[in-house]
Amino acid sequence: MSNSHLFLKPGFIKVPLQNGVGRYVCQLQRVVLKFCKNHGSSRGMRDFIESDLVNFAMDNPAVVVYLKPRRHRSAVIKAEYLNGDQQWLGCKNFTKEEILKWLNLLVTQSQYHTGTRIRKLWHTDNPSIQGPWTPFTFRDPKLNLASFPNEELAKPQDSNETNHEALIELFKKQKLDDLEQRRAE
Amino acid sequence: MSFCKHSLNLLKSVTSRASYLNRLETRQIKRWVAPTLKALKSRRDKLGPEPEQPRSSFLEWNYDAELFAFGKRLGEEFDRKLLQQALTSREYANLKEFQAQEKGIELSENVHNHELIQEGEKIILKTIKEEYKKHHPEDIVNAVCNYLTTEEMLGSLGKDIGLKDIVLTNEFPVETKTLSNVFKAVVAALEKSSGLEKAEKFVHDFVITQMNGKDVYDIWNPSEPYKYLTNLLNEKGITSIEPRLCNESAKNTILACFQVGLYSNKKLLGIGWGESVQIAKETAALDAIQRIHKTQRKTH
Repeated sequence: MSNSHLFLKPGFIKVPLQNGVGRYVCQLQRVVLKFCKNHGSSRGMRDFIESDLVNFAMDNPAVVVYLKPRRHRSAVIKAEYLNGDQQWLGCKNFTKEEILKWLNLLVTQSQYHTGTRIRKLWHTDNPSIQGPWTPFTFRDPKLNLASFPNEELAKPQDSNETNHEALIELFKKQKLDDLEQRRAE
Repeated sequence: MSFCKHSLNLLKSVTSRASYLNRLETRQIKRWVAPTLKALKSRRDKLGPEPEQPRSSFLEWNYDAELFAFGKRLGEEFDRKLLQQALTSREYANLKEFQAQEKGIELSENVHNHELIQEGEKIILKTIKEEYKKHHPEDIVNAVCNYLTTEEMLGSLGKDIGLKDIVLTNEFPVETKTLSNVFKAVVAALEKSSGLEKAEKFVHDFVITQMNGKDVYDIWNPSEPYKYLTNLLNEKGITSIEPRLCNESAKNTILACFQVGLYSNKKLLGIGWGESVQIAKETAALDAIQRIHKTQRKTH
């Protein structure tokens, strides 16, 4: 695994506007296609504008498409999202299919995702369903009927048996077992 | 002088083309490019970052197309004139009228969104109230209404549906208040162009959905829950509430925790925790109020 992700801005998946709870709002606001009218590197962009642009605009009426011819500069897509993000995408020597593919990506994503590292693939605003823990949350129900002062409950909870006592106990048990075996024989 | 030199060079190149051919026709970045760019960069750095410009001042800007896309984005049919009126603030309209008068042109009408704002606010409030009245008592309805119609909430909604760039106003950057007002005006414009039902659906889909994943009891916060509970129970005819200390832990320490239950006729009304008995009692009262509301909702 590379370490380049360390320089990315960490973030969680988030949806603006509770998008999709009520209705879906396309988050791409407008897109500017910049190209040169006679340079070879803009050829794919020119082809796209000639053949596919009208269909693209009709399919996505929520996106304003601007064309900006500039002399002898390479082709560029500049996308602007509703949250104010601006994405600049160089399209030098792209074919028209590639341009359509990139534009479809821009239309479907909610913000300029490049440069952020998603910390988890899920996110919740309410991590706890049970509510906060209190000292009384998982209390033993037998305490409800106990009367105080109570000698049994006053004892320390861990056993006081030492290793020495435990060994003697084991030895006694072994002796008893041996006796029983002999009787059985 | 330099011109003479240049012409001399040209002459040379013409006379002995073959020997110069390689050197003259190699493609390279000229020696002046790097220093010039460096100088330009240092000048730019000295000036500091450029101030943000309104999007409408860019060369690639078509207001008609933006308005069309705005309607399509929300999936609504707007009347063009009404939408533009909803987006025009009163100050902007007044300034335009003043400028026109100075030039000697008579504007036909001074259209702005002042009335639309009030109409839109009424529609928004009415829709939220109607929705929440179904399941919640009036205090909670009012609290949710106030929460959903704050300037920040409606302003951020307006920003998120793309009003920021198409609002016609004098100030830049656009203030939250203007955005919230324009959002209300847009609702009114929708009501006028496609009917009340569509406008209410719009409020449902954009404003009420903001409550998704939020609890009304986080938004509604009575200042004195115990007092509120006693009043609520008095209305129901229950007058005796008995707060009991159910549990306590780590008393007289920084991590003290008390659990108080509220009883009436040996029946538990609500239970709550807190770092002091008083706080625990108030929390228990909040819990009791929630339980009462819940049973009311079930019986409805």
